[in-house]
Amino acid sequence: MSTDTLRTAEVTVVRGPRLLSAIGGGPSLAAHRALHGSPGRTRLATLLADLERIDLRGRGGAGFPFARKLASTAQARGRATVVVNVSEGEPPSSKDAALATTAPHLILDGAMIAAEALKTRRIHLVVPDNERAVRDAMATAVAERAGERVSWAVHRADDVFVAGQASAVVELMSGRPNRPVTTWQPAAVRGYQGRPTLLSNAETYAQLALLTLHGPDAYVAHGTAAEPGTTLLTVHDGGGRRVVEVELASPWYDVLALEDLGRPVLLGGYHGTWAAAGELRALTVSRVGLAAAGLTLGAGVVLVPDCCPLTFASAVASYLAGESAGRCGPCFNGLPALAAALERVVAGRGGIAEAERLCALVERRGACAHPDGTARMVRSALERFPDEVDRHARGGCSYPRDGRGG
Amino acid sequence: MANGRLRVDWPVCRARGLCFELLPEAIELDEWGYPVVTGEITPELTGAARAAVRGCPRMALRLVQT
Ligand code: SF4
Ligand code: SF4
Repeated sequence: MSTDTLRTAEVTVVRGPRLLSAIGGGPSLAAHRALHGSPGRTRLATLLADLERIDLRGRGGAGFPFARKLASTAQARGRATVVVNVSEGEPPSSKDAALATTAPHLILDGAMIAAEALKTRRIHLVVPDNERAVRDAMATAVAERAGERVSWAVHRADDVFVAGQASAVVELMSGRPNRPVTTWQPAAVRGYQGRPTLLSNAETYAQLALLTLHGPDAYVAHGTAAEPGTTLLTVHDGGGRRVVEVELASPWYDVLALEDLGRPVLLGGYHGTWAAAGELRALTVSRVGLAAAGLTLGAGVVLVPDCCPLTFASAVASYLAGESAGRCGPCFNGLPALAAALERVVAGRGGIAEAERLCALVERRGACAHPDGTARMVRSALERFPDEVDRHARGGCSYPRDGRGG
Repeated sequence: MANGRLRVDWPVCRARGLCFELLPEAIELDEWGYPVVTGEITPELTGAARAAVRGCPRMALRLVQT
């Protein structure tokens, strides 16, 4: 193993400029402190100002401004709780696992900084039940901090796609099934035990730690003025699965091989959007730039299927239909119907109008964003690959059938 | 008075469809019998919307401010 990459069973983690700079030094607290030092005292007002300057967005997928979430939590009535979600319910995402196994103390420093700003000592970690390496890495890191004046509670999230949705996490913490429920207010205002709850993804906390440990000037030294900093991506291409850290606004050439830029790419994971073949050549790893093109980075999954994108989209839709937590009627009836309609599109037996109708029917009609995300992915496949849809309607397909696929 | 919005507590709703009977002006049913909220609740509809909220046997409806 070289010191620039870390190979686990199936994921390669590539050394990066900030979050993934620790590879080689090991994940211990001593190595972490030697590299990053210790965070000083944090004042909420300073932290909020710095966060606004770097425009930190939640890295769990929704891209919500973190400063606003922190401010809402701070303003809401009652003692706050800090929750770090280290469990990626999405099978193709490995970036938080990569962070947990290579730099767990960045995540924990971030959580402590947030807790101090919110004047709370209670931090909850949610780890994936099915990933032993991640659980062990976080448990070891927490044990190394035994002397610190915070209490850590660790919860194991189910291996289910929607287990990471905010309300599902709060349910898990409360001792109930790890599934989404309807919430009438955001967790920042009314979350765990009805109190303000700062719930964010592991990478978000690690970014917060970097901001505090090295200051905002060092943070904005990467990326652009409009979108400073770096982001983690889980890339699936001919080379397998790897986690990389890239500067925001990097050209996609830095991430994908030329050949792969000429193929359709699923960006943002199974709830994401499809870029048509070649579309990424003119774009960058920019949330804003991608949004203008109708694309989303989501939680940073970049997937280049080695088969027909329509067929792949259909396989993903079927998988997502099976991952409906079965709680909300429009979702558990609508997603299988949508997946079936897409199967008909692939088989050249109609289904296009039906798929479009069902996308509109399921949106915003569930306790969580699962129907919306599924509809987004399906819509974007139909929209980005009209020629392929036509070809399938005539019984054809422009891709070989033996791809690595879904 | 500002318009309100009907929200459905989806895991609780069991598609009995009573809300549609009480408030056809703002609720349709999908092919599985679950409500589709078709519009905002204007001040004129507020009374009927409250009746639908009270009438839902599962208490799955809420009228929230937009
Ligand atoms: S919307 Fe779907 S996935 Fe989300 S809670 Fe309801 S049934 Fe489960
Ligand atoms: S009356 Fe209540 S349970 Fe019945 S369909 Fe309407 S919201 Fe659902």
